[in-house]
Amino acid sequence: MEDKDISLALRAAVVDGDEVESARLAEAALQAGIDPLLLVDNCIQSALTQVGQQFQDGQLYLPELILAGDAAAAALNVLKPSLLKGGKGGTSKGKVVIGTIQGDLHDIGKNVVGALLTAHGFEVIDLGTDVSPKKFVETAELEKANVIAISSLLTTAMPYHEDVVRLLNDTGKRQNHFVIVGGGPVNVEWAAKIGADGYGRDAQDAVVLCEALLDLVVKPPLKEPLSFGSLK
Amino acid sequence: MNIPDVIEILERTRTGEVCNVKEWDVKRIPRTIRSKLEKYGLQNRCDPANPVNTDDSLADTFFRAGYELALELGMLCETTERIIRVSEDELASALKFAPSQLFVGTGKDGTLIKTRTPSDPYPMPFGASLGITISEEIWPALTEGIARQREVDLLEGGSLTTIHGRSVLPGTPFETLAGFEQGRFHREVRRRAGRPGMGGIGCISSVTEYGQLGGYGVPGGFLPTDLSLVLFPSELKVSYQVLQKVVHTLNVEGLIFAGSPAMIGGMPGSPEGAILSCIACSLLQYPILHSHVGGGEIYDLRYLSNVNREGLWALSVTHQALSRNTHILSHGIANEVSGPGTEALLLEILVGVSTIAVSGASFSTGPRSAGGKLTDYLSPLECRFCAEVGHAASGMSRAQVNDIAKAILPRFENQIKNPDKGKPVTEVYDLKAMQPTPEWEALYRKVKREAIGLGMPLDDKG
Repeated sequence: MEDKDISLALRAAVVDGDEVESARLAEAALQAGIDPLLLVDNCIQSALTQVGQQFQDGQLYLPELILAGDAAAAALNVLKPSLLKGGKGGTSKGKVVIGTIQGDLHDIGKNVVGALLTAHGFEVIDLGTDVSPKKFVETAELEKANVIAISSLLTTAMPYHEDVVRLLNDTGKRQNHFVIVGGGPVNVEWAAKIGADGYGRDAQDAVVLCEALLDLVVKPPLKEPLSFGSLK
Repeated sequence: MNIPDVIEILERTRTGEVCNVKEWDVKRIPRTIRSKLEKYGLQNRCDPANPVNTDDSLADTFFRAGYELALELGMLCETTERIIRVSEDELASALKFAPSQLFVGTGKDGTLIKTRTPSDPYPMPFGASLGITISEEIWPALTEGIARQREVDLLEGGSLTTIHGRSVLPGTPFETLAGFEQGRFHREVRRRAGRPGMGGIGCISSVTEYGQLGGYGVPGGFLPTDLSLVLFPSELKVSYQVLQKVVHTLNVEGLIFAGSPAMIGGMPGSPEGAILSCIACSLLQYPILHSHVGGGEIYDLRYLSNVNREGLWALSVTHQALSRNTHILSHGIANEVSGPGTEALLLEILVGVSTIAVSGASFSTGPRSAGGKLTDYLSPLECRFCAEVGHAASGMSRAQVNDIAKAILPRFENQIKNPDKGKPVTEVYDLKAMQPTPEWEALYRKVKREAIGLGMPLDDKG
């Protein structure tokens, strides 16, 4: 297979959400001597951008979005050692620890945000649902995450958001991580009340929010949360 | 009768086929749904130009495919990551012996929920509101204001996030206490409104099982003649938290009101896929959760709403499929996004609730003012309007309601993505005098007159 064909096939495998084929083609591309950075930019990222846009346009649905994210992660895993060897390991825009807060089992919104963040070049560590404040903080510290993203659909699970911020404050780790909140009943006023750094109304807003936070020169916490998509 | 009893269902959560949540969500659900859509030729059948379906055979085909899906998929227990399946005999028995009518509440204040069919003249009972967050200091007056709306049949009320000024932490004694306190307040509010026997729905503040254990069927709390709310996650998933609520409700001889929305754009994909998921979910909750009522909720993930064209169409087909082919007491929600004090909210209610009523749902709850996103953005007036529309649209033809939807949708559909949040209750309703502000009432009168002009038999004087 020619270099161009491998690249195209890798891109197609990511779009198709084929984890096994993506990893295999990433390996084949490295064997063929293709620059891994080009593979990331031209194949993986561009495939994810396409899938993300099709999701936004209602042409693809959540399973396809998640599977494409998984396929991209599989390919990146193969490419990572080569990227690091070439001093180009920092291709991720940043690391986000995401989860649905303790007491809440709803995961759809969180899954969409996680998949779109991946599609936009973030490294996402998904803790799943019913995640305790302690787990959020421990994982964020362990992974040196830039952002802790907390989701909830249930109003009555929201008090635990505050406990994440409180735990970061009380353990002297608040300056290590931005904290953002989102989900059906969450709004920017809530984010401000609990001392979070940002709020996004939908998944696309969450991506813009994470990009904006990581562009800042200041460390967390912010005096006022950044907000994207607030209702009129 | 061959309905699996609760202990048998619990056993299946330990012995069913192993399947992790991700495999279930992104592979089993979408692939099985796609195969059923293909088998029955149901892809691309959504008709946004006609949001209320009038094709009986289409609804019946969706039902057959959804029934088959239920048997093939079963439900996943998230806690044990095992699939709870039921046999065809078990499913058929559960549906055969499901209640076809249920009296909720007591005496003259109570409400009879019963099987309905499309265009059924029996007025669809309406419960208000959904679990919108309400400040603790406002909750009693606002909930009393809702209960005072005589058109509202059942009382649910908003969610509390504090009790005695303290946060309600799920899965802790705070939640157990909150469940009890909400049940206590709820009964007090119904008494104050002069409707002590009004049927209640509780407990909306119960995130985990703790609130339900603390508040439902216990002395002083929600009564076993109220509905016990057992919500479970999309798509076709239950957990031990959910099953705890089931067991507790049955222990106190209460009434299980189960529900879970299928998500257009989510794991089932298209509106057609969401209908299949919703039908399967509605059917399976009878053998697995021993539901008395429930099933039939669909939202569109893109808007967290269903008053858009695809959402309305999916709601209409689902309820027609269920009500034409079973006698289960299905439940529908119109998920509005605009806030109190806006014309858009009333228009969304008009279209959404009438679609559910005319499609044969047995009852409905709402509204979801301001999409349920903002604390205190809920007023008794839109609760009343929901109930009025639900009652009045019952008995209309689907073609009539389709015409109303087509006439009204262009007025708000472009704002669904960015709705007007409106105003909090304190700015649109006087909770001491229990009256809407003149501006809010004038808007309500205007939309009501318009609906009457379009053929909906609402009472102009009420």
